[in-house]
Amino acid sequence: MDRPSHLSVVIDLDPSRWDTLNLSLFLSHLLGFFNAHVAAKHENTLAVFGAFPAKSVMLYSSSDPIAEIPPNDANSYPPFKLVDSTVVNRIARELELIADDDLDAPVALVGALTKALCYINRLTVEANAATTSSTDQSLEPVALPDPRILIVSVSPDITSSYIPVMNSIFSAQKLKVTIDACQISGPENVFLQQATHLTGGSFIYAERQDALLQYLIMALLSPPSVRRTIAVPTQDKIDFRATCFCHKNIVDIGFVCSVCLSIFCQPVPVCSTCRTKFPIKTLQKLNSSRPPLPQSNSSRAPTPSSSSARPSTTPRPPATPPTGSDQRHLPRSVVNGHAP
Amino acid sequence: MPATVRQRPQPGQKNPDSSTHALLPFLQVQSATALSRLYQSPSSCLSIFRLLAPVERQIVMNLLWLESAMTPSTLAAWVTTEGQKLYDSSLDTLSHLHILHNYPTKLALNTTFKTSLRHAITGGGTTGSFGVPAEKDEKRLPLDVEGLDSYALERWETILHFMVSSGTGQNPQRPSPGVLYLLQRSGLMGNQHGSLQITSAGFQFLLHESHAQLWNLLLQYLHMAEERQMDLVEVLSFLFMLSTMELGREYSTENLSKTQKAMLEDLRDYGLLWQRRPTSRRFSPTRLATTLTSSSPDLPSSTGASSTGFIVLETNYRVYAYTDNPLQTAILNLFVSLKYRFPNLVVGSITRDSVKRALNNGISADQIISYLVTHAHPQMRKNNPLLPVTVQDQIRLWELEKNRLKSQEGYLYTSFASQADYEYVLNYAKQMELVLWENNAKRSFFGSIEGHANIRSFIERRSAGGSG
Repeated sequence: MDRPSHLSVVIDLDPSRWDTLNLSLFLSHLLGFFNAHVAAKHENTLAVFGAFPAKSVMLYSSSDPIAEIPPNDANSYPPFKLVDSTVVNRIARELELIADDDLDAPVALVGALTKALCYINRLTVEANAATTSSTDQSLEPVALPDPRILIVSVSPDITSSYIPVMNSIFSAQKLKVTIDACQISGPENVFLQQATHLTGGSFIYAERQDALLQYLIMALLSPPSVRRTIAVPTQDKIDFRATCFCHKNIVDIGFVCSVCLSIFCQPVPVCSTCRTKFPIKTLQKLNSSRPPLPQSNSSRAPTPSSSSARPSTTPRPPATPPTGSDQRHLPRSVVNGHAP
Repeated sequence: MPATVRQRPQPGQKNPDSSTHALLPFLQVQSATALSRLYQSPSSCLSIFRLLAPVERQIVMNLLWLESAMTPSTLAAWVTTEGQKLYDSSLDTLSHLHILHNYPTKLALNTTFKTSLRHAITGGGTTGSFGVPAEKDEKRLPLDVEGLDSYALERWETILHFMVSSGTGQNPQRPSPGVLYLLQRSGLMGNQHGSLQITSAGFQFLLHESHAQLWNLLLQYLHMAEERQMDLVEVLSFLFMLSTMELGREYSTENLSKTQKAMLEDLRDYGLLWQRRPTSRRFSPTRLATTLTSSSPDLPSSTGASSTGFIVLETNYRVYAYTDNPLQTAILNLFVSLKYRFPNLVVGSITRDSVKRALNNGISADQIISYLVTHAHPQMRKNNPLLPVTVQDQIRLWELEKNRLKSQEGYLYTSFASQADYEYVLNYAKQMELVLWENNAKRSFFGSIEGHANIRSFIERRSAGGSG
C-alpha cells in the first residue's frame, strides 16, 4: 500500500565538531535528502530538529503555517524551496545565537530526540482525533503511518545521557517509531546503535562525506513498507554495553540490582535507586571474584567490606530488547563487549 | 491502446495490491522520443516520479545520483527474497516508461530523466517548467483559496450533475460545448433522439471517486488531443506543470506554447484553473489541478459531508443520506428509490426495482456496494461488517437474477442421415470445443458461430467423400 510517511530528522550541530568538517557541503547533501523525501509523495510530512550545545530547536515542520512565502521562481518546486531556505536560515540564526560560554556544553541530542518523539505523538493524536471524532473508541485507532526519526550524529556518546536515551528508545517502541541513525565522524556511537537496533532501524557510518547523499538515499530514505522489498543495511555487530548509574561509565561488567535493575560498576551495599539492602556475604563473594578496578573509580568507590549485597554478577548474553512499557526498566542483563 | 472506457483499468475499484496509476499505461505506449521530450521538463519528471509505486520510486532514487551505470546484480543484492517478484516487475515498469536505460544489461536512468529530476530536486536549470509566476497586480487581487475551491467545485459538479440528470426531464445548467464533446467522445454520454443521454459507462463513472473521475476524463482528453493533432508532449507537460504549482498563486501565460494556451480554455471548463477573463494573461490553478499527482486529494466539497461520509444503510434496506447536495442526491437516485426529502436529509430504500434499474443502466452490484462503503456515515463505521450482510447479499442476488439467461449465437445442425454420421460430426465438433448443446435422441446439436465454417466444410468434405 502506498501511504504517506512522516520523517523527523535530528541534526547534531555541535559547532566544536563542525569546525573540522564541511558544514555547507553536509547541508547541501542533507537538503537533497529532505527534498527526496518530500518529492516521493504529495502528503509526506517532514520535521527537522537541531541539537545545539545545551539547546534543541525545531528548525522546520511541514505542518507549520508558512510564515514568509519565498519568492517564487519558475525553475524550482515551491515546497522544496521552502524547506531549504527555512532550514538553512534557522541554522545560521541559531548558530549565531549560541553564547560563548555555552560552546563547551554537551550537545542536546536527547532534547532534540525527545522533541521529535513528542511531535510524532502529537501528530498521531491529532490524526486519531480527526478520524474518530464522531465515533467511540471501538474504531481501530489509526496510527500515523510509518513515522520515522533519523538522527545525524557527529558526536561520540555522552555517557551521562544513557538513561534518557534508553527512555526515548522505549517511547519510540511504544509509538512504533523507527529510529535510523547516520554517523558522520568520530568514534561509533554506542547508544545510537542500540536505538536503531531496538526500534528496527538502520545504522550507517558514512565514511565518505562527499557521498553522504547516496548513503542517505540508499539506506535511510525508504519507508518501512519498502524495506520489506529492498532491504537496508543493519549492523552485524551491536555494542550493547550500558552505563553504570553511579559514575556514568560505559561498563563491560556491571552489577544489577535484583529489585529495580539499576546498573552499577561495582557491588554496592544499598541500591541508590530503590534503597534495597543486599546481604553482606554476597557482596564479599562478588568483590573477591571480580577483576581489579580501574584506578579512576577507586577513589569514589564505596568500601566493599562495609556492606552486604546480593547482586547478580555473571554477565548474561546480550539480551532480547526489553519489551516492557515501564520506562524504568533497563536492559536486564549487563553485558561485556560486543554482541555476537 | 484501450478503445473504450470500460476496458481501461478503473482506478476507482482498483485493489490495494496494484497501485498502478491510470496514467502510467498511457505513458507506456508512447514512443521513446515523445517520452524523452517529456522528460526534458523537471516538473514532468517530478510528477511522473510521484505517480510511480513506492518500490519503483526507491529504485529511481537509488540510481539518481550515480554517474555511471550499475550492474543489475549490485542492486539485486539489496532485495529480499520475498520482494524479488515485486522488484522485477518494478524494473519492468520503469523500463517500459523508458526511465531505465539499457535494462536489463545495466541499471542506469535515462540521461534526460536523470538531469531533469536532479534539477527538480535541487532547483536549478532554466526550463521554467514549474510555471512562471505573474507579477503582483495591486488593483486586481487574485482569487483566494476558498474562492478557487468553490469555483472548482461548481465547475466539476456542473459536469457531473449534467450527466446524472440527463434524460430525467430536468434541465440543469449545461457545461460548455467542449465538455459536452469530451463526454460524448469518451462514451460517457451518447446521442439518442437528438439529446445527450448518459451511457452505462457514464453511470459507472459517476460512482467512482472524484480523483479517479478526473483522471478518467483527462485520459480521454489526452486521447482526443492526439486526434486533434495537438502536441501530446506539450499537453502532458502542461498538466504536470499545473500539478506542481502552488494553490492560491497566479501564474503568467506568457511562457506557454500555443498548444498550452489553447488548453487553458478546456481546463477552465473542467475547473482545473481559473482566469478572470478568457483573454486574461494570468491564471490560477485550483485544488483539482494541484492535487493531480497525489493519491488522496483533499478535494473541495460544498457540504463537508462528502468527505466524512453521509449514508446510513439499515438492515431493512432503508437508506438515510445526510446531504443537501443535489448531485449526491441525484447519484443516490440511480439505485435507491427516494421517499422523503428534508433540508439536510434524504430518505429512501433499496428495492428490487431500484437496483434492477441501476443494473439495466450498466452499473454493477459491486459498484453500488463500493459506493455505499466509500460514503458510509461515520456512525456506520462502528459496524463490522460495515454494510448489513443481508443487503449486500441481496444486491448481489439481484444482479445474479439478471444473468440467468445467457445468449450465444450459433447454428443448429440437424437431420443427419444416420446415427453414425451424426456421431462422427459431433465428435469432430467436440474436439474443436464448438458444441454448445447436443441431443442424441433428435440427432441434432448446436455449434457456436465461430465454428460454423469449420463444421460446414467438414460435413461437405465427408459427404463429397461418401458420394465419391
